[in-house]
Amino acid sequence: MIESLFVLSPTGKVIIEKHWHELIPRRVVDFFNDQVSKAMAEGEDVTREDVLPIIASPKYQLINVYRDGLTYLSPVTKEVDPMMVFEFLHRIPDIMQEYFGQVSETVIKENFVTVYQLLEEMMDDGFPLTTEPNSLKEIVPAPNILNKVVNTLGATTSVSTRKMPHGMSNLPWRKAGVKYNSNEIFFDIVEEIDAIVDSTGKAVSCEAHGTIQTNSRLSGMPDLTLSFVNPRLVDDCSFHQSVRFNKWESDKVLSFVPPDGHFRLMSYRVNLPSQQNLPIQVKPSINIGANGAKFDITVSLRNTEGKPVENVVLTLPLHKSTTTLTAQCNVGQYMFDPVGKILRWDVGKVVPRERAPVLSGSFGFGSASSEAAANAGYNIGVEFLINSHSLSGLKVDVLKLFNESYKPYKGVRTMTKAGRYQVRA
Amino acid sequence: MSDAKFFQRGKIQELRLELNSDKKDRNYTRKKQTLKKIVANMTMGNDMSSLHQDVIACMSIPVLEVKKMVYLFLINYAKAKPEMAYEAIQTFRRDVEDPNPLIRALAIRTMGYIHVDKVTSCLIQPLRHCMRDQDPYVRKTAAVCVAKLFMQDRHLVENAGFIDLLREMLVDSNPSVVANAVAALTEISERSDHIQLQLNMSIASKLVTALNECSEWGQTYILESLMFVVPQEPGDAEMLAERIAPRLQHANSAVVLTAVKVIVYLMNYMSRDEDIHSMCKKLSPPLVTLLSSGPEVQYVGLRNILLVIQKHPEILKNDIKIFFCKYNDPIYVKMAKLEIMFRLASEHNVEQVLSELKEYATEVDVDFVRKAVRSIGRLAVKIESTAQRCVEALLELIQTKVNYVVQESIVVIKDIFRKYPNQYESIIGVLCENLDNLDEPEAKAAMIWIIGQYADRIENSDELLDDFLYTFLEETVEVQLALLTATVKLFIKRPTAGQDLVPKVLKWATEEVDNPDLRDRGYIYWRLLSTDVAAAKAVVLSEKPHISTETDNMDPVLLEELLLHIASLSAIYHKAPTTFIPHCKPRFLIPSPALRRQNYNAGRTLQHQDSYSSLHNSAQYQQSQSNMRSPRSDEDDGNGGLDEFVSSPKQPQHQRLSYHEQSFEQVAEASIGNQEYYEQKINAENPYRTDTAAVGGSQANRGGGVDLMSFDL
Repeated sequence: MIESLFVLSPTGKVIIEKHWHELIPRRVVDFFNDQVSKAMAEGEDVTREDVLPIIASPKYQLINVYRDGLTYLSPVTKEVDPMMVFEFLHRIPDIMQEYFGQVSETVIKENFVTVYQLLEEMMDDGFPLTTEPNSLKEIVPAPNILNKVVNTLGATTSVSTRKMPHGMSNLPWRKAGVKYNSNEIFFDIVEEIDAIVDSTGKAVSCEAHGTIQTNSRLSGMPDLTLSFVNPRLVDDCSFHQSVRFNKWESDKVLSFVPPDGHFRLMSYRVNLPSQQNLPIQVKPSINIGANGAKFDITVSLRNTEGKPVENVVLTLPLHKSTTTLTAQCNVGQYMFDPVGKILRWDVGKVVPRERAPVLSGSFGFGSASSEAAANAGYNIGVEFLINSHSLSGLKVDVLKLFNESYKPYKGVRTMTKAGRYQVRA
Repeated sequence: MSDAKFFQRGKIQELRLELNSDKKDRNYTRKKQTLKKIVANMTMGNDMSSLHQDVIACMSIPVLEVKKMVYLFLINYAKAKPEMAYEAIQTFRRDVEDPNPLIRALAIRTMGYIHVDKVTSCLIQPLRHCMRDQDPYVRKTAAVCVAKLFMQDRHLVENAGFIDLLREMLVDSNPSVVANAVAALTEISERSDHIQLQLNMSIASKLVTALNECSEWGQTYILESLMFVVPQEPGDAEMLAERIAPRLQHANSAVVLTAVKVIVYLMNYMSRDEDIHSMCKKLSPPLVTLLSSGPEVQYVGLRNILLVIQKHPEILKNDIKIFFCKYNDPIYVKMAKLEIMFRLASEHNVEQVLSELKEYATEVDVDFVRKAVRSIGRLAVKIESTAQRCVEALLELIQTKVNYVVQESIVVIKDIFRKYPNQYESIIGVLCENLDNLDEPEAKAAMIWIIGQYADRIENSDELLDDFLYTFLEETVEVQLALLTATVKLFIKRPTAGQDLVPKVLKWATEEVDNPDLRDRGYIYWRLLSTDVAAAKAVVLSEKPHISTETDNMDPVLLEELLLHIASLSAIYHKAPTTFIPHCKPRFLIPSPALRRQNYNAGRTLQHQDSYSSLHNSAQYQQSQSNMRSPRSDEDDGNGGLDEFVSSPKQPQHQRLSYHEQSFEQVAEASIGNQEYYEQKINAENPYRTDTAAVGGSQANRGGGVDLMSFDL
């Protein structure tokens, strides 16, 4: 049960405050801010992200989510399911994103009334109520240009008189009466690779997380069936609530009546074998001496089916005592952030069979160097994306439409990108 | 300040004029705009309450958006100004009869928020109607409203028949209504002294059917309520678990984890091992998937996984790789992962685990590095075949000379020496090179223990101890105790080397130090040494009991209790909810013919022995217990088969106690042979309760040659 909600600005000031039960005094926010600054003062490397998502105070358990600079804080006094609280707290910025296009302190302040109305609908007495964007938009109109014009001109709106289906139809996620001139539906299959790769290029752990993001612009009540060429390679999956689970269990097809607009149809996980050929290989070598180190990092492509790898970015956090860095690279640009002690190399696009990008150079520890600096391990964070490529090999076979007579345009795109991908030096 | 006030007042005046303007206002657009401004001001903390009359006047406008804003206003101010709510009562009365279901629901919902007696009493009649409203949206709102009302006035809800109405709603045709009714009942049951939710199989089965059709939140409510089903036959438990299993594949992690909780609970009532095994198999993938979510969800997932795998080790036993830490994981996630890695470590994967741990030991976060080093030592103790490699890894780490790494290593090496005597003593020389850098009491005490234990092998052990003794009076008690024992050991092993040191230490311990433990231990040694050296030798150098990492296992009683609280705060803290949440109802496995015995023993006996003695004398309890059991049948009794029962307020305690009684009786027959086990359990330190308690225990016992080890990471 969620009792109260505070939305805090990046400086810890209350932007939104809402109480579904008793009024919880704002002192709790001061306590929370103190705890956050205390936690962050504990070490140089501690960031806001390292602050525990559940902090105990003498009277409350402070459940909090930090997203895009804003903190969503829910102090609770009773036993709750924290997972539910987290899910709900994340839903708030999700919905705001959906309504306002972006989420920030300013955006919230500009849309105070809408935000409060939304919160009122999203939760009743601590029970999450309506959180489907489709249903919410029926109850609380989104501020769009049309609305604004209508409001200022005083023209007739239909909001007041419209009959609202209220999440009470058999399909709470889909509103009735959707109509498009051209019917289309797009599927984006995005696979993120989470991997730990050791310095020899061997994957210590490696999995692909896929999502099928869907944008449905179909009229009426379309009933869809999406099938895959090779559904069995999926190890675990979860679905949007519209998907009929039994059909998946029995036939391994996705059968569903889609919500209108953007939604996540399916998430899945594929365990990749450890000898899996990863699309990109990063070979670091770092030789540490007493006062600094020499390094070079080489990027090469493997197994991308001839496709280029784009937006390649490498980040190498250096030890805190590092003061100087000199380097050179044959491709892209590098940058050293002397405050955060992070070396960032924007490699850009890497095309197969072209010369391999190399960054080499050296860095030096300051006077305060210690054994810890000389013995520290190094990890390189890797980002990249490959268009029209699916690492797992999952392929859509056909999409069939029932219950409606039109022929929709169907689009499928695939993309593979790095998720939490790191290489140990 | 006065300026600000004036501005405010001027502003309010302006708003009032705008609100009451006679100008043509088609579709109330202007009124809407003004109300929006008022609500905006209100939410920013500006006091708008003086506008109440004008705002309430807008309630009669038949536009939903306007109504909503007026209601927001009322909810905000009614508590401070009850008279404001009185003015609104008439309109509320009209609204609950409105033909538009949205308005009916909104009125009920708003009234529920206004904690003013007069409003509450006006709510009762319409609420009853709304619970049987033809529109499901109204019914579903009304169900939550009952829970709201219960918070304000328990007796009112209990006496006005609302509980019965909620029970009827459990068989509603609309799944969302069912979900909300179940949520309200669960909530009330958790708060009430004499209402206890109990669902039989037939109602449970109906709930599971509704599960497939309701919203994600509704699914969590229904799943949560299934914790109140007590399967009478193993088949029931299996069937229910089988039907819930698809929820493990939900996109909402709260649904997934609640499903895990119910399935783990139901496994207690399954008889065939293969059923349990097949359920365990189903639990692994969704738990792995939780770890690909955001850090908060990962954290909650990890803490719960740590509980689940202690009870069912086969879950995730092949998935250790997903617990490997990424350097940019938040610290709390890394720490939680490390604990699970240690637990999952086995002969098969120990190679990988060790190489990971070595990697972590080079990271920058000090706490994480310490925990990694400590885990290497524990790994050596846990898995003998890997001890050699662990020791080598620790030696490598000591060579780095990174101060906290060295100290942490020495602490765990002491444990390795204890576990594997006469195997790794050759490394003592390396350890002795690092004496000067030790500044943490735990590391010092460990090193001193090693010197004392191997006083006869370390050539200059007397000099080393003498160096430590130099600052004896400034040391912490932990170090002082270690020094005292080590010096006595030295003296017994090498009398000539120790003869100068022992009197010095004994004198300090007994005369200069205030700590009673230290003083007493000093006296005991003194007397032993002065009366019978042979006896002293027997005591001080006696064979030490073996250590193992089993002390890491959670107290089984606590574990059983926490498993019933998976997905809740207690499962994060690993503390029983009753210890940190006021007025929390304890949960326990309710006996039934299907309950697996051994769980049951471990779970209940300890906690309820006390209540047993007081209960036993009273035959009346026996009576009340059988009365209460009688309504439990699986027949459909017109209430849709529900036997959630409400005993009369006069016997609030009976129901709960009756469980205790029965549980103890059954346990008593089943576990007489376990008596000894429990006594040991009671005496033993619970390593999870507090670190200091465990340390205290080991200190107190060390003088007698008994070293209790505590392995807390």
